[in-house]
Amino acid sequence: MRESAARERREKLKLFLTNWQGVFGLILVLLFFASAIFAPWIAPYDPNAIDIPARLSKPSAIHLAGTDQLGRDTFSRILYGGRVALKIAAIGVSVSLVVGLLLGMIAGFGPRWLDNLLLLVFDTVRAFPTVILALATVALTGPSLAVVLAIVIVTSIPSYARIARTAALSLRNTDFIMAERSLGAGLGRILWHHVTPNVMGPLLILGAMDVPVIVTVEAGLSFLGLGVLPPTASWGTILNEGYLVIRDTPWMVIAGGIPLILTTLGFTFLGEALRDVFDPRMGRGR
Amino acid sequence: MDTLLDIRNLSLDFRTTRGRVKALRDISFPVRKGRIIGIVGESGSGKSTILWSIMGLLAGNAEVTGGEILFEDRNMLTLSESSRRAARGEEISVVFQDPMTSQIPVLTYARQMFDILYRRPNLSRAQKREAAIDMMRRVGIPDPEARVDQYPHQFSGGMRQRAGIAMALLTGPKLLLADEPTTALDVTMEAQIIHLLQGLQSEFGATIVVVSHNLGLIAELCDDVVVMYAGEVIEAGEVHDIFHHARHPYTRALLECDPARVEKVTRRLPVIPGDIPDLTRPRKGCIYSPRCQRAMPTCHDVDPPTAATAPGQFARCHLLEGPHADPTWPPPASVLTVGRGTEDLPPRPDPAGTPLLDVRDLNVRFRTMGPIRARLRGIDDPFVDAVLDVSLSVRPGETVGLVGESGSGKTTLGRTILNLLRSEAGTATFEGQDIRNMPESRFKPLRRDMAMMFQDPVGSLSPRKSVRALITEPLLIHGITGRDLDVEAERLADMVRLPKPFLTRYPHELSGGQARRVGVARALALNPKLIIADEPTAGLDVSVQGEILNLMAELQAEHGLSYLIITHNLPVIRHIADRLAIMYLGRIVEQGPTGAIFANPLHPYTQALVEGVPKPDPDRRRKHVSISGEVPSLLRRPPGCDFATRCPYVQDRCRVEKPPHFDAPAGRQHACLFPLTHN
Repeated sequence: MRESAARERREKLKLFLTNWQGVFGLILVLLFFASAIFAPWIAPYDPNAIDIPARLSKPSAIHLAGTDQLGRDTFSRILYGGRVALKIAAIGVSVSLVVGLLLGMIAGFGPRWLDNLLLLVFDTVRAFPTVILALATVALTGPSLAVVLAIVIVTSIPSYARIARTAALSLRNTDFIMAERSLGAGLGRILWHHVTPNVMGPLLILGAMDVPVIVTVEAGLSFLGLGVLPPTASWGTILNEGYLVIRDTPWMVIAGGIPLILTTLGFTFLGEALRDVFDPRMGRGR
Repeated sequence: MDTLLDIRNLSLDFRTTRGRVKALRDISFPVRKGRIIGIVGESGSGKSTILWSIMGLLAGNAEVTGGEILFEDRNMLTLSESSRRAARGEEISVVFQDPMTSQIPVLTYARQMFDILYRRPNLSRAQKREAAIDMMRRVGIPDPEARVDQYPHQFSGGMRQRAGIAMALLTGPKLLLADEPTTALDVTMEAQIIHLLQGLQSEFGATIVVVSHNLGLIAELCDDVVVMYAGEVIEAGEVHDIFHHARHPYTRALLECDPARVEKVTRRLPVIPGDIPDLTRPRKGCIYSPRCQRAMPTCHDVDPPTAATAPGQFARCHLLEGPHADPTWPPPASVLTVGRGTEDLPPRPDPAGTPLLDVRDLNVRFRTMGPIRARLRGIDDPFVDAVLDVSLSVRPGETVGLVGESGSGKTTLGRTILNLLRSEAGTATFEGQDIRNMPESRFKPLRRDMAMMFQDPVGSLSPRKSVRALITEPLLIHGITGRDLDVEAERLADMVRLPKPFLTRYPHELSGGQARRVGVARALALNPKLIIADEPTAGLDVSVQGEILNLMAELQAEHGLSYLIITHNLPVIRHIADRLAIMYLGRIVEQGPTGAIFANPLHPYTQALVEGVPKPDPDRRRKHVSISGEVPSLLRRPPGCDFATRCPYVQDRCRVEKPPHFDAPAGRQHACLFPLTHN
């Protein structure tokens, strides 16, 4: 007799926990979430509190990651900057995932002309370099967090939509979809109950792998002065300010870079481990 | 006689997350030189694993725990990887089950055959090409000089399998392994491949090991037979001994369950109760004892003795040797050792009166290219006729079998009746109501009366839904409220005899037979009047297919269901259908009562099908293959009779004139200008 679903889930968990990359990634991701969510309680200083006498100090027991050119505590600013990154990543990934899934399923199950039209739109959007698109948009609207978010969402929808479309297309002519149609199931029911659960897995893994990309896009735009405006702390603005004072002290750039690296590593490791565990095609041997 | 390959005490485990699966336990049998040996068993019996361990191509999680495989006194298990590789292809080669996936799609056959001969540096390219062409001619590929430069996709299924055999034989191997060589082929092709393998064996003197679950193929082709069950060899011997004097209860049961061997037509087929055991659990005694009709207390505790009659001929059973031997075992062949269900079905009402489903001159056409491209190429009619002028009716309580080879349009017809595909012309009425191309919104209520069972038992279930959700879904779709869904799920599971714990499982955790039961439950959920079943026994083992068919027969008697059963499996349909319709290239070539069609077919194609099924009896081997050639493509439908290109009785008139449907006595119809007469 074969095992029950619960046992299989437990086995998958075990498989995941024996994967050191996955566990390491999970710890980093949890740290990222915790530090961002609990920043107001963890941060030793107000991120915008200016302390001119202590400006550009090195890391010490008082200022864990040193201070910037205005004497603001870099560690606190990193924690608060994480909030910006988390917000962008969470909203950006979830909105683009949902919209991408919907558009992809419409393209996959809809009539041929609609599929072609949507593909044309997806490819047009993807053909735009993100930074140029951002520069153009900011030139029109002025920099703000909302603009960064909008750009992130618009540019990542096509990749989700394409994955969802391919998966939906391959499901479209399978026996079980045909069986549902023969029972009289409507399109809505087929898409929501039978296609979505089968498309969702790979999309969620892609989403986890996409978080660091979005975090870096936000940091990059903020670095260029197109994203979050000073004095709001963001990893990008910290890097930018650190870059301006790099001749006096390297600590700001280092302190601003480390969380970016760790987040990227964490989400990438987590995403790859999840894929290894849940994607049967990655299995070994016959 | 010389022994070419000797397998001794081979044991093998697979390491899985569920624990160690003891896939092979203490396997011993010799393969004698110049013989064809068949390994037969149901799925999960480990028969393919033996093949792969001979080749040394086991999966990464396999571990040989004991024994040896001696190939000409070399132990294949301890041989170095490089000398094993030297043996593969040169001395031992394989014919694969599916020629679609086992050949390289982007290389021509000439190129693939050069690669096979890469260990022959002293042969020039021209010589290698000559060898390839010669081998393709010998396996019966017409015009090999030109076809050797073609790609696999330019070959049809049967030709591709012939090419696969040519590639396996190219190096002149001493041992040829064939893994289910005909499973992917149609009945008429299967007969040709069996014939080819036999011819090649006597021509090359090669030794062949065939792995199959098909008893007919084994009986027709093999000299020796090894019967496997759950990772053990339970019986081995000469083909005549196995088929006529089977000594092990499992072999007996397996033979008795084969519908092709059951001469008397009854609605009930014999079944072996129970399931294949879980090989991860430690086990004492005889592996077959939980399902054995003759199990004694000893069988569950003590390993059975090996009762040998000659070297390489043995059976492992307590009934044959030792203190519990029973001199009356095995009983004569006329005695049934497995049950076929005790209660007799009530005689079914004589199916008469108005048909439930009535299809007249139905046509289904598929577009082959867009209208613009067709006009550019000057093609007036860019369509193929998948279903052509089909008339068929199903009366209440009746079972109609729709029989044909792949590509005959039988599945298309089934789906068109259910309005899943659009039809071009004709009429289709259900209970007097015209249903052809009815809009989905109006057709939806009718779907409660017509249900479909799909070919792939597991693949037709939505993979992320539990069994409970799957079998109650029809009720949700049709907005039937006011019923407790949990109660309803249990009622349906009970009806198809699916144990309650299975309700929480997911499709991939079900075996083929269990998934098929879920499919039946789904079809029954709304109390339909007609069930269209597409290959209801495809992918099921012999012992399980009987259970499913018996269940379907019982439900028919209980609920007065009508069935339209789409199948290519003639031995099975002979037992369950009242009437048959034989399809060829989208047309029905013959129609009539099942018994009459089997007894004296009127259409030559029907005759070819009836004779094409290999008989599971080594004494009734065919000397010749009744029809040659393959089903032509729908794109090149012959101008006259569709069957004219393959018909052994073809006459000039057949090639120009398309035969209409003629009425024959006793409610029969055929489409042949010169119907067969039986005197």
